[in-house]
Amino acid sequence: MTALIAILVDTYRELASKRLFWLSMALSGLVVLIFALIGINEKGMSILGWTLEIPFINSTLMDASDFYKLAFYALGVRFWLAWLACLLALVASAGLFPELVSSGTVETLLARPIARWRLYVFKFTGGLLFTALQVMVFCTASFVVIGVRGGAWEPGLFLAVPMVALLYSYLFSVCALIGTVTRSGIAALLLTVLFWGFLFTLNTSEQMVNSFRIAKIEERSAIDRLMDTRRQKDANADVSDLEQERQNAEDAIRPLTTAHRILFAAKTILPKTDETVALVQRWTTEAANLQDVASEDDEADKPAASPPRRRGRGNNFGTVRAKERDVLAAIEKEQRTRGVPWILGTSIGFEVVVLLVGCRIFARRDF
Amino acid sequence: MGPGALASGLTRFVDARGMQLGTRMPVDSGRMSDAAIDLGCVRKTYKGRVHALREVCLRVEAGEIFGLLGPNGAGKSTLVKILLTVVRPTEARGSMLGLAIGDKSALARVGYLPEQHRLPPYLTARQAVEFSGALSGVSRADRRRRADKLLDQVGLRDWKDRRVSAFSKGMRQRAGLAAALVNDPQLVFLDEPTDGVDPVGRKEIRDLLLQMRSEGRTIFLNSHLLSEAEQVCDRVAILLQGRVVKQGSMADLQREGARQVLLVRWPGAPRDLPGCDPGATIDPTDAAVHRHVIPSLDTAAAQLAIDAARASGASIVSLTPQRERLEDLFMKAVTDPLTGLPLPPGAAS
Repeated sequence: MTALIAILVDTYRELASKRLFWLSMALSGLVVLIFALIGINEKGMSILGWTLEIPFINSTLMDASDFYKLAFYALGVRFWLAWLACLLALVASAGLFPELVSSGTVETLLARPIARWRLYVFKFTGGLLFTALQVMVFCTASFVVIGVRGGAWEPGLFLAVPMVALLYSYLFSVCALIGTVTRSGIAALLLTVLFWGFLFTLNTSEQMVNSFRIAKIEERSAIDRLMDTRRQKDANADVSDLEQERQNAEDAIRPLTTAHRILFAAKTILPKTDETVALVQRWTTEAANLQDVASEDDEADKPAASPPRRRGRGNNFGTVRAKERDVLAAIEKEQRTRGVPWILGTSIGFEVVVLLVGCRIFARRDF
Repeated sequence: MGPGALASGLTRFVDARGMQLGTRMPVDSGRMSDAAIDLGCVRKTYKGRVHALREVCLRVEAGEIFGLLGPNGAGKSTLVKILLTVVRPTEARGSMLGLAIGDKSALARVGYLPEQHRLPPYLTARQAVEFSGALSGVSRADRRRRADKLLDQVGLRDWKDRRVSAFSKGMRQRAGLAAALVNDPQLVFLDEPTDGVDPVGRKEIRDLLLQMRSEGRTIFLNSHLLSEAEQVCDRVAILLQGRVVKQGSMADLQREGARQVLLVRWPGAPRDLPGCDPGATIDPTDAAVHRHVIPSLDTAAAQLAIDAARASGASIVSLTPQRERLEDLFMKAVTDPLTGLPLPPGAAS
């Protein structure tokens, strides 16, 4: 325990000696300050007394606490913590493991009555505390701002601490492994950022392909319903045009399903950075906004020649025959079938495997 | 599965071949002795069949200063690193402080100052020494007290709370020495401890080594500075090509090549004397003075030669006992007797 505490404290001291640590803290403070400066009134958003008229963000549509929570998740968590703060933390801590295994340092650490894997894990934990500390400071400040300015004291905000720390831990485990193998902080940083970019691309691709696939399935269902409707009206009705459309949809579904299976399999074994952070929002703003789009369209019988819909929020996956509402609802439903065990379990599983590989390399290497 | 079982499983996974607390594969725990270090056989072969250590056997007695000497690349650092679990041996039979080589728990009683060590630059000297103590499991109160005392001892009294990054090389070496001693070790490994230290500092460090010995600690010294080793070591070993080519107490080793030089003034050609090596030589400064070598420090042999010389009418100029210097011993050990050229130091495939 003495050694564990010593390594944690030393890791903190090492990180705190870097300017980036304090820059990161200052930027966190700036983001919270922005929260404190913005407000909401009946016309839109207010910033230092000025009003920015926004038709869909004003006090007639949402109260102040909802506005601040939205700002916290959209700006604070999704943008600042999950991207910029994580990137800064990676930059600051990419050198931790190369420094650990550097000549002159590693000998003094290994010549101690501590198992090597413990040294590795303790150092990793120390690096992780860096991010957890930052997120904790940010969340505490945000909690106060939302409480004072929005009147809502929302302890759910602190869910961001473990979630963002978890997201960072996926990346940091990779960074630690690369740093241990290459002994280079720059290589560790660049390859980790590349890996992160790959995860982002994979996640986006999977979501896109899945959305198109679901849209096509919904279209096929809509065509089936339309054919049934026509046949109910007139048993001899000509549905050849619809049969052709149905065949086209069927032809599109097959390759999309194959592509999605491949992407989904790849995603399953890799960490799910975006979905991990999205859990914060999922847990604290339950009752998804499916109803929001419910009233938007009701056009099941639109002619086939009509162009695809391109309005409404978000994904715009409305098709010729399927209602955008149904498509979005199906996508949302499918996303929610991916439970917490799948999102966190497989991601943590990946992290554990990477950590074990790192520990094994560190434990078996001659220095 | 409890945390203990999990830790045990992790240990097995990450380090199946040893170097952890508990038993390990390539060591022989049967060879235990009272010596601080007793090595039956240590071998290390790196990938590519590079034999860093072929078969090292040596013994370091408790409470002595032991010097491991050898040219660069002979395997000195590799041997120390194997003893300290930094490098995994191909084979290691023997014990250190009564425990099998590779047993991490022995390291709680060991101090180590590596060559070209790097103390964390973001720490103060006091923090660095205390951190070192914490890694060895020293309690907070003890490491604070010892850090204070040791930093005083190594001459950093006024620099305790200054960051190591501001230190000169010699000051870092002193701080490193304090860090190596903070766990009150029974056995201390010092790799070039006076490297970068000024002459006054060297003297202080030598005094510290002698003081540590007087406190009952065992010191394992790796040094290129033969004169320094000669001044402080009780016993030395010379490592060459991954093998110990010579080891023994300083007194024994010096006695091996010890001799007496007898200068006599004697008109005429040099002649042999009883008890002396055959073939006397003429002194280069005076043709009438002959130089005879008695190949021991035996006073009876000297007396015999002197008597014979005087009986022949010679007058005695001087009789000088000469002991082999460590440097001479070292050079002899690392030189090919046939060619007179230095032998390759090691790491030969």
